[in-house]
Amino acid sequence: MMFGSNPFALIAEDVPAVVMQGYVVLMALLVAVGTLVDMLHKRSAEFFFLDWRRSRAAARRVLGAGERVALALRTLLYEVLSAGEFCNPARRISHLLMFYGFIFYVVATVVMVFGYTAPMTATPPLWPILWHLGALMVLVGGYWFFFFIRVDVAHEGRSPWRLRRADLFIGTLLVSVTFALIWAFMLLARYTTAAWVFFALYVLFTTLLFASVPWSKFAHMFYKPVAAFQKRVQEAEGSSTLPQPTTSGGGRCPPSRT
Amino acid sequence: MPTFAYMTRCDGCGQCVDICPSDIMHIDPTYRRAYNIEPNFCWECYSCVKACPQQAIDVRGYADFAPLGHSVRVRRDEVSNTVSWKIRYRDGRLKEFTFPIRTTPWGSIKPPSAYPQPDQEALDSPLLAHEPEALMIERLPVLPRA
Repeated sequence: MMFGSNPFALIAEDVPAVVMQGYVVLMALLVAVGTLVDMLHKRSAEFFFLDWRRSRAAARRVLGAGERVALALRTLLYEVLSAGEFCNPARRISHLLMFYGFIFYVVATVVMVFGYTAPMTATPPLWPILWHLGALMVLVGGYWFFFFIRVDVAHEGRSPWRLRRADLFIGTLLVSVTFALIWAFMLLARYTTAAWVFFALYVLFTTLLFASVPWSKFAHMFYKPVAAFQKRVQEAEGSSTLPQPTTSGGGRCPPSRT
Repeated sequence: MPTFAYMTRCDGCGQCVDICPSDIMHIDPTYRRAYNIEPNFCWECYSCVKACPQQAIDVRGYADFAPLGHSVRVRRDEVSNTVSWKIRYRDGRLKEFTFPIRTTPWGSIKPPSAYPQPDQEALDSPLLAHEPEALMIERLPVLPRA
């Protein structure tokens, strides 16, 4: 029952659809601007192009367009879609849960807010199910990472409750999604006051998640695939400063418990 | 010649934190990436460079004596049990070497935490940990008293 209900349609009488849609657009703009600021502040784009020019000058062979497309596809399949750069299987599963969960959650939010908040519009059950499922995947993968796998806890021996700026992204993501689920449950259970309280918390932490992009590691989802692609190109054109692997695929991701 | 991490390659796995014998590789509290907290105390053992599964750690020379433009990169391969080095000289020459690195299986060496705590007698003893049995002798030789 809960999984098939569109929470945004339930509050559409009190919060006009256009306000919800404007909020989603604003958050998308915050991500775009935040990523740009992050790149300029850390000078990561400058470093990337500097390294790209260096590797082109050192290249032993020129890659054709087909080879570049093949490398891009391999990066997409291996590093992006299957989180292949994580050598620790637990960390890889946790990241995949968060990655796909976040995509399901965001896509379902956008579809439900823009498509199914008008009065008398029935929401196909697929989207609310995807929204709830995505949120649960983010929470399972996220809390697992936060309390057990996070390097501060597993390797630095710190308490999981010790928070630093590096926790801004994972912290706001987990709190925002947790409050979203509690809000959806309160709405359905008709605990009106509690539902509004949790809705306010959900909006607050969602805003914090997207507005804090310049200070958090949110932008990693954009620059990590680019860096992985660059590494593959450098290896293929012979400009990598690293030695050639001695086995096929050797050394790309050695099995690891960490 | 301290270590540093390429921020776009490091994924904050913590292997360098575990292996650094000087305990100077740690995780940056702002970006959750590896960093060398005390470059002056880094003795260039390359343990973290070899342990890093992403090859995200490099070593740079001090500008006053290290030739600019050189690089010494390493790749560990657990499949073939080898470590490969690629040395680039300042004049552009490149040399590559590959060596076998293990005679025991990966993960077979116990970390210090897997051993029991030594008692007070062991702490007061002049013997180091696992001596004399790890030296495969019954007891250490001593100088005869005059």
